[in-house]
Amino acid sequence: MMRIASLAAGLVLALGSVTVHAKAQVGQPAPAFTLTDSNGKTHSLADFKGKTVVLEWTNAECPFVKKHYEPKNMQTQQGEAKTAEVVWLTVNSGAPGKQGHVDGAGANAIIASTGGQQAAYLLDASGETGKAYGAKTTPHMYVIDGEGTLRYAGAIDSNPSADPADIPAATQYVRNALADLAAGRPVAVANTQPYGCSVKYAN
Amino acid sequence: MRPLPILLCAAWLAAFASVASAQDEDLVRRDHLSVQLVAADRAVVPGGTLDVALRLVHDAHWHTYWLNPGDSGLATKLAWTLPEGASAGPIRWPAPSRLPLGPLINFGYEGDLLLPVRIALPATLAPGDTFSATVKASWLVCKEECIPGDASLSLALPVAERAQPDPDWSARIGAAIAAEPPRVDWPARIAREGETIVVAVEPAGAELDAATLEVFPLPTQVMATARGRVAAADGGGLRIDTPISDAFVELPAQVDLLLVDGAAGARRAVQVSAAAATAPLPSAAQGGDAGAAGGGDGVGLLAALLFALAGGVLLNLMPCVFPVLSLKAMGLAAHAHERPRARRHGLLYLAGVLAAFAALAGTLIALRAAGEQLGWGFQLQLPWVVGALALLMLAMGLSLSGVFEIGGGWMGAGQSLAGRDDGRGAFFTGVLAVLVASPCTAPFMGPALGFAVTQAPGVALAVFLALGLGLALPIVLLSFAPALAQRLPRPGAWMQTFKQAMAFPLYLTAVWLLWVLGRQVGVDGLALLLAGAVALAFSLWQLGRTGGAWRGVGIAAGFAGALAALVALPAPGGAGAAPARADEVAWEPWSPERVASLRAEGRPVLVNMTAAWCITCLANERVALSSDAFQQRLAQTGTAYLKGDWTQRDARITEYLARFGRNGVPLYVLYPAGGGEPDVLPQLLTPDLVDAALTRAAQR
Repeated sequence: MMRIASLAAGLVLALGSVTVHAKAQVGQPAPAFTLTDSNGKTHSLADFKGKTVVLEWTNAECPFVKKHYEPKNMQTQQGEAKTAEVVWLTVNSGAPGKQGHVDGAGANAIIASTGGQQAAYLLDASGETGKAYGAKTTPHMYVIDGEGTLRYAGAIDSNPSADPADIPAATQYVRNALADLAAGRPVAVANTQPYGCSVKYAN
Repeated sequence: MRPLPILLCAAWLAAFASVASAQDEDLVRRDHLSVQLVAADRAVVPGGTLDVALRLVHDAHWHTYWLNPGDSGLATKLAWTLPEGASAGPIRWPAPSRLPLGPLINFGYEGDLLLPVRIALPATLAPGDTFSATVKASWLVCKEECIPGDASLSLALPVAERAQPDPDWSARIGAAIAAEPPRVDWPARIAREGETIVVAVEPAGAELDAATLEVFPLPTQVMATARGRVAAADGGGLRIDTPISDAFVELPAQVDLLLVDGAAGARRAVQVSAAAATAPLPSAAQGGDAGAAGGGDGVGLLAALLFALAGGVLLNLMPCVFPVLSLKAMGLAAHAHERPRARRHGLLYLAGVLAAFAALAGTLIALRAAGEQLGWGFQLQLPWVVGALALLMLAMGLSLSGVFEIGGGWMGAGQSLAGRDDGRGAFFTGVLAVLVASPCTAPFMGPALGFAVTQAPGVALAVFLALGLGLALPIVLLSFAPALAQRLPRPGAWMQTFKQAMAFPLYLTAVWLLWVLGRQVGVDGLALLLAGAVALAFSLWQLGRTGGAWRGVGIAAGFAGALAALVALPAPGGAGAAPARADEVAWEPWSPERVASLRAEGRPVLVNMTAAWCITCLANERVALSSDAFQQRLAQTGTAYLKGDWTQRDARITEYLARFGRNGVPLYVLYPAGGGEPDVLPQLLTPDLVDAALTRAAQR
């Protein structure tokens, strides 16, 4: 029985990794989603047709997220997006009971304390949307153009570390991808290795 | 103060500092791990090298990362501050493990880890100087949550004419350096096939265990972190299919990979460079699917069936089986022209083999269902079965030697007892083949049968029948392919000589079984059975005579004597039974309590579960567990060596085997020093493998 259980577990694990192996591919339509935000409002990807959308996977307790929030790198880019009429959606796929999982009130408290400039903070406790995108780390970033095509997937910047001091020297991939899109250019660096904490999906 | 005393004082202080650094008290505590900078030498020489290592002692279930951290995480980094002219090499990473986190997988390390670095020393140092090095180590330590950590660590060593190894660290750092996967120039190619990254590799002069083989890519953005699917490739070598990385952009011209196989604790790893393929890679060979995708440390059903089939084929070559079956094959060759009959015999033989296996498996499964603590090989735990098999070997041997013949005429007797020319003879040959094969546990059979008996009865039966099919396959093929049979040497007078020669492997098998019996019942029981053997020989001699007044009485009396000896055999473990003691290496009898108390002392413990009737066990003990080098390594690492003897039934051992998913011996379990998860060594040991495992276990 134990053996069968472990085989089954292995199979589930294999299937799980297949699931996390994203359906989201750069150059292909981004997976549709419908999620509730921290204020109870529902958002679907289709609602933002015609606008560029940024997805930012988050977990406020993760050191790599703190790296970009404490020196305000993330909030600054969120503000730039708002000015450029780009829809910035922060997504939390942490399962209940896991580090960084929040409810609406918890998310609003984080937005208030960090001065977040995102358009909405979406709650994905089931991890369904995270797995559809293949979100692995916090942060893990995606940029979707007005036609719903995924144009960038990967890290926020080029310097995989947890040290805020490494930010100034890093290439900001998301900022550059947004600039490329705004200028009607192909995104120069469209796919990078994300870095950070693991997304705390349910086991 | 004059300079000399100051220098001496400084050297003494430095030496003292390095001695102190060997102690665990020097570990620096950080979140969820302790860290230390250690050196292999207590004194360094100008222009030489110094091996140092960052030691990371992780809290239980916490880990740090390899240079490719996998789906998340961050590799440990070192930044050195060294005197002018000195330079530090890269970290010499040991092979990492796959650490699952929900649906994600990381590549990293748990336990007590050494990350060695070689420092080149400037020639400008002078004896009497002090060499100082400082490193800023930074890491990410994660369980599920992650915490970045760093520490600034220093060492100061006196410069001397001659290097002075540190007894506390030189061996451990040396072993850690040896654990770095060596670069090999095996031909390897890599290609993208749709959403899969395919690696084709030809292990030159090395056997890779496809069932446990894992691939770790050094670069990110090539393959996903899931364990790939390993299969034998058409035309040799292996083909490993792994899903493509989500972050894949393009395939580099060359991808460095670690290939790691073997059970945990006895893992072997090499580094290969796979060149981007310019031609299509070979496809997987039919039925060559040997590896499991995803986790699961056990043997899958398909793999178990294949193992069983292969094991069955191998059984044909065992000394107890070969004489019987080679004669059967000769018999078939003689009848090759009578195709329908040959086929009928082949099928009856197959039926005999399968029936015998079904009976054996059915008995085992039924007894287990009734709560008996039994495992494969159980039939040899009963002295009367061992005795009966010994007598059977003797009887067959005597028949081949020409003492008596069944069926008369050398054509039929060419196959002797099992060689009856009618259908019953063919069926009986099958049953006999299973009987004589049961002691010869082929290496392949252990895992497959261990898997089998823990499964639902239907699955267990399927595995046993696959084994039977393998055993029967060569003869069945011969009987169905007359062309093949005709390739065998033509029957003739030489067969008489061959037949007689084949008696001797059988006699030797009998001797071996008697030795096992002696272990079980002692010298008195053994003498009793030998008397029975003489009675049997007498009976068979009478049988072989053509006349004589008292022939019938002689036959009956001899058989009765042999039977009486079997029945009168004492219970196992009776007076005079010697414990299995095959060598002079110091070992203690196994008991769960002893394992627990040794582990509580923090000592590494090697457990060897063995049995006198287990050929694989004895071969392993000869090859890898009895040398002086082995004994020295035990002493050096302070490893306690415990042996459990499963020659006779022992419910506690059966239960222990089951804990490791096994149902038979051999089983080798190595508990690392200072607690931690035990490692199961492979069923076929080599001295190098054991040595590496012991060294590694002592390091934790």
